[in-house]
Amino acid sequence: MPRTSVVESPGCPPLRALTADILGLVKVVESRANPAGVARVVETWGTPDASRAVLAASLADRAVDPVLAVARNNGAVELLNTLNGNTLAAVKVAGQASADSAEDPLATLHLFRRHAPNMLGTFLTCTEKGKASVKSVAKENADSDLAVGPSSSWDVCNSGKMEYSSVDSGESHVMFGGKGIEVNLWDITSFSKTWSAKSPRGNSLQIFTSPWFTAGTFLCNDDHRKIVACTNNHQVRLYDTASQRRPVISVDFRESPIKAVAKDPNGHDVYIGTGRGDLASFDMRTGKLIGCFVGKCSGSIRSIVRHPELPLIASCGLDSYLRIWDTNTRQPLSAVYLKQHLTAVVIDSHFSTEELETKSVQTDRSVEAEAKVRKEKKNRTRKVNEEETGVVDPDDSTVEAKRKKSGEKKTKEQKRKVRTASCVGQRERWNQF
Amino acid sequence: MKEKPDPVLPSQIKNKEKRSEMHAKLKREKKAQKRKLARERDQAAKLSADLGEQPPEKQVPRTIENTREPDETVCRPDDEELFAGNDADEFSAVLKQQIAPKVLITTCRFNSGRGPAFIEELMQVIPNSHYVKRGTYELKKIVEYANNRGFTSLVVVHTNRREPDALLIINLPDGPTAHFKLSKLVLRKDIKNHGNPTSHKPELVLNNFTTRLGHRIGRMIQSIFPQDPNFRGRRVVTFHNQRDYIFFRHHRYIFETKENKIASKDKKAKTSESKNQSEKQVICRLQECGPRFTLKLITLQHGTFDTKSGEYEWVHKPDMDTSRRRFFLSLSSNCRGITPHCSCLLLSMQELIIAGPMFFEVAIATSGAMTAAAAPGHRIPEVNASHYGFHPLSLLHYYHVSWVDDGIVCVLLIAAESSV
Repeated sequence: MPRTSVVESPGCPPLRALTADILGLVKVVESRANPAGVARVVETWGTPDASRAVLAASLADRAVDPVLAVARNNGAVELLNTLNGNTLAAVKVAGQASADSAEDPLATLHLFRRHAPNMLGTFLTCTEKGKASVKSVAKENADSDLAVGPSSSWDVCNSGKMEYSSVDSGESHVMFGGKGIEVNLWDITSFSKTWSAKSPRGNSLQIFTSPWFTAGTFLCNDDHRKIVACTNNHQVRLYDTASQRRPVISVDFRESPIKAVAKDPNGHDVYIGTGRGDLASFDMRTGKLIGCFVGKCSGSIRSIVRHPELPLIASCGLDSYLRIWDTNTRQPLSAVYLKQHLTAVVIDSHFSTEELETKSVQTDRSVEAEAKVRKEKKNRTRKVNEEETGVVDPDDSTVEAKRKKSGEKKTKEQKRKVRTASCVGQRERWNQF
Repeated sequence: MKEKPDPVLPSQIKNKEKRSEMHAKLKREKKAQKRKLARERDQAAKLSADLGEQPPEKQVPRTIENTREPDETVCRPDDEELFAGNDADEFSAVLKQQIAPKVLITTCRFNSGRGPAFIEELMQVIPNSHYVKRGTYELKKIVEYANNRGFTSLVVVHTNRREPDALLIINLPDGPTAHFKLSKLVLRKDIKNHGNPTSHKPELVLNNFTTRLGHRIGRMIQSIFPQDPNFRGRRVVTFHNQRDYIFFRHHRYIFETKENKIASKDKKAKTSESKNQSEKQVICRLQECGPRFTLKLITLQHGTFDTKSGEYEWVHKPDMDTSRRRFFLSLSSNCRGITPHCSCLLLSMQELIIAGPMFFEVAIATSGAMTAAAAPGHRIPEVNASHYGFHPLSLLHYYHVSWVDDGIVCVLLIAAESSV
């Protein structure tokens, strides 16, 4: 008997997400206060061109001049302004002729959050054959390729196919893995390998499966020693680099390769997405499945990203939908159809709806001024958040007022209060970082 | 206040005789009521017609077709991203006629029963197709083999219990792979009055592949067949999608002029007069060539066949089946999207480059004449159109369109829905 009652979707909170697809387009999806709860495409940057397909994207999520980096199919890395989509710089990765990029395309990209004031940004790329490099792009006359600042490159592996890399939140360590490449941890400051994993022992039949890692992340924000890596063989593994080289926990999840993983800021949960479009969350302290995100998701999930503050994740993939989910209830909040196979999604967490109104009033304001406003708004909201928790629920203040008035129905609000308080605590912990 | 007791339902009566009596009575009453309502409606319509007023609105029955769930992924003819995506996809080389399609047909490991006969007929349907015995090779090895020999598609017929039950279509060299359930297979010899196909390249009719997924599947099917049909062969292969089931039919058609007499009302009129009244009419006759089968999409995989590490673009999951009004390959027929293949048959037209994936916006004027405005970039002057026939399978009317473009007479057969 099909379910006939409709579950009320609470709708999407104000949010800004950027997606990149195989035609090289970057689309901005926003959910605003008016109309509430509906996410939709507000801007599309670039022209459709398959040779400029985006392979990876990374956002330096800052209050002041945030930058989006996209790695394209033709071997170039472009830095975009996330406010208006202007190309700030386009850099060909060193040692890559245009002919070379066809056989050794870029596989991963990470844009560092910290950057020197005269620099536009520093990013780390790795090609499929394992040539990693760190590059900086200077601010002035960034259009020419010559303006590239200090850079360095090294070989991560000799054979195999690189599939993912992940940088820890302190941005001092990077982890690589891929087809035929065991998980290995590198120190970015010295470009040296500090740790590498060892394959788990063969099973009872002494059958050994060769390593094939498809996604990975650092589990905690304050600890680079706990690593979650997912395999093509549908396993989620937890490595502890401090204790041993074999996995501490290894859990199977269904029967299709795991293609994307994202960590939760609480330090023990991860969200994984598979090649058949299954999305689930795991508690890595015990290796238990917390639950699956069920919806009409029918295509392979390529990218998952967790909002740093709100309890929601965004996922995208080959079904060309950007989907936004609540992590607490695991219900879909919104789905946006974006027409192409999507490769990456990032969330701009410094987005508020107030700023939009000012934007609409004064459209001719320059970008710098806008950034300034963003920063001020950010500080203000942060203060407000720390005083009274408006993070989780925009209606929280009214709820609180009601509660004061009546003094009843405490339990539910209290629960929420506790949750938001822990959220605030967490943010403070990140701020110390 | 006392509540009125509910009327006793026939199902609550235990005595069979009484129950059936009651039931018949209720049925009769219902029927009378219905007839009365219909009469009232008729009278109202007649009255308004007499008074010259607007006739009351006709009631439209609610069907699954017109109460479908809205789908936002429908391909629109004004969608630039769609066309850019089409240009970049895996089929564009074949569809732009840069490569001629070459199809390898193979089977599962144990092929018997109706399998071999089905393959024989499939090879007559698909031009330039080659059968390779499966042997004990893995499918991945066969994909490699086909890639090395320049095949553009690989079709695997899977049989279970000596009955073909699945079809796997792999586009080469790098995907995608579509897995269909195959059912209701009728071979040629089991079709009454079947024809035997010629070796001409067939025309292809793809109906109702309107959503993004449907569009992709449609393009995939299109890439198996050659893009330059021999119209002299009058062979047509139809893939008709209805509620996510794809019906395959293979026909020969012929347009015949038939003199039919108009039955004169006045019986006293002389025979010579009635002969004068006879008029020429073009009718379309079809002869089925077979085979006949139905496909249902199960999965669409990104890349070539790989069950272990494959990524899927679309998988049918049970939690999608929560509504009977949700379909994935097409939207209801009254909402127009674009199907990948312009279901029109082109004759002697190098000028009309807009054919193929491009489209004719067909507007049917009240008089029955048709004006065809080409897709952006080309405008056809002075179009003459006449009704040519009705395709009973695709529920399409065919129009014979002709115009003069730069001194060249162009003739085009356009399929259009009867009413928009």
